[in-house]
Amino acid sequence: MIVLDPNGEKLNLMPLNVGPSHPATHGCLRFLAAMDGETIVASVEEIGYLHRGFEKMVERGTWQQVLPYTDRLNYCSAIMNNIAYVRAVETMFGVEIPERCKVLRVIVNELSRINDHFVCIAAAFQDLGGTTPFMYAFNPREEIMCIWEKLTGARLTNSYARIGGLYRDSYDGFEQDVLAALDSTEKALKDLHACLDRNRIFLDRTVGIGKISAERAISYGWTGPCLRASGVASDLRKDEPYYDYETYDWEVVVGTQGDCNDRLQVRMAEIEESVKIVRQALKRLAPGPVDIVDPRIRVPAHKLAYQDMEGLIGRFKSVYEGIRVPEGEFYCGSECANGELGFTIVSDGSGHPYRIKVRPPCLTQFAAFHELVEGGMLADSMAVLSGLNIIAGELDR
Amino acid sequence: MNTVEDIFSVLEEKFGAKRDTQDKWGVAAIVSAAYLHNAAQFLKESAAIKFEMLVDIAGIDYLTYPNHEGPRFAISYAFKSMSVPGARIRLKVLVGEADLKVPTISDLFANANWYEREVFDQFGIVFTGHPDLRRLLNHVEFVGHPLRKDYPAQKRQWLSTNDYLLPALEKRLEDLGYRVVQRSKEVGTNDNEYLEGSIKE
Repeated sequence: MIVLDPNGEKLNLMPLNVGPSHPATHGCLRFLAAMDGETIVASVEEIGYLHRGFEKMVERGTWQQVLPYTDRLNYCSAIMNNIAYVRAVETMFGVEIPERCKVLRVIVNELSRINDHFVCIAAAFQDLGGTTPFMYAFNPREEIMCIWEKLTGARLTNSYARIGGLYRDSYDGFEQDVLAALDSTEKALKDLHACLDRNRIFLDRTVGIGKISAERAISYGWTGPCLRASGVASDLRKDEPYYDYETYDWEVVVGTQGDCNDRLQVRMAEIEESVKIVRQALKRLAPGPVDIVDPRIRVPAHKLAYQDMEGLIGRFKSVYEGIRVPEGEFYCGSECANGELGFTIVSDGSGHPYRIKVRPPCLTQFAAFHELVEGGMLADSMAVLSGLNIIAGELDR
Repeated sequence: MNTVEDIFSVLEEKFGAKRDTQDKWGVAAIVSAAYLHNAAQFLKESAAIKFEMLVDIAGIDYLTYPNHEGPRFAISYAFKSMSVPGARIRLKVLVGEADLKVPTISDLFANANWYEREVFDQFGIVFTGHPDLRRLLNHVEFVGHPLRKDYPAQKRQWLSTNDYLLPALEKRLEDLGYRVVQRSKEVGTNDNEYLEGSIKE
């Protein structure tokens, strides 16, 4: 197409379609860019290629049946989504979960965060042509995946949290496994920093690329590491503490430039903070129950169902009719790996959710994508995209 | 020291907001569509606690809600404050079936653009003044609004083509100060021809 630029100069632009099925689009994102040579002049995005109707599906089942769907939102840190959802429902019930459950949730939350950040960093370097950092990041990730496998029976889309407790207590040797995973996480971080911090090629590709100011990021509703990279110290774990996050000794990581390099460096530093939190949480892990005792919320244990009539009825009603969440409307957001994962929940007091709206952190970040890439080179757009860590599962729901 | 409750009483006084008794866990205010833009602007710019971030926009269809009285749809806007960490408020607008129109707030919050497109897509509520009200998640050929309670979840539709992004790209270029002299040869004279060319049988 032929256009006149703001100075009245004639330009011949080429519309270039990228995606939806492109190795660097991490799932199925699509954008159309108007190219002047190698430079992106304007860009528009399209999403929805992975839209599965999450919000329609959950209206058909019971409150507990929503859980496995939440795993598929951000599938790089599935358990974290579970916890965000059950926290919203538990807040509506107004119940307090047992101490051991809280600490275990903090541990799996932070391990998920480490996992998610490693995937983001690894994929970002892979997209820029670096395969070595990919392997460094995936070694500790594999150890965490093995912990998931022992804990939940699944590796990728696993659910561990339950409304009012956990699927089960941790297994024998859990603490040792976690400590070993933390050690290799720290080793991998050292290797990654050695690979990247002063790597000329990497810095040239990421420093000053895809910059966004703090005001603009706030206007776009950015949350999580991407917002913090722009210099805003906003973290729900500190701002609206839950699960006693405020009592752990850790810092909110903040960047300065808001560019692609900062977004990756903030994630690396956040892994360090998560390691700190998990080490402290392991020390607090004292024996005790993990489920609340209330058959109206948490289904009674199998043992009770086989021995006692009340337990059997409780189990039957909980599974067939669903738990009855108090009537009302509520928005609850939790700090997930990518930012604030929120649930707007409407309950009519029956065993089925009336409406659940997911607020995915990725959506607002991808909505700003055109502002980040316009004026840059086409190859930079790939660096920007992987630095944002767009997960199509939660973007499209 | 101002609290979110104080902000609510100002909303009540200035914009005739009513307390949403359904939200027992936070603060939610029901405002009329006519005051929505002003109320959102007040929250963003001049309230004692500034709510700089629009967190979410959610549509709700009350068609099968037990004992529900009043308009069928509602739109819930969740805001959060950056300057006072932890302060949150929700605005709710009730929308009747006869007049499915709500003013846009995409001029105040950049992310409202996509959120409003999503509500339009899923519920068919029109945001007046929105710069580019297209479907967001569902397919360009999709018929109906799937999150309405009367849309059957099992219903199948044959959909075969991508979104037609070239007109959107031209619009974006014009927003940036460019002027399109000659359209790309892929652009037809009629946008609908693009859909007619897709496989239907």
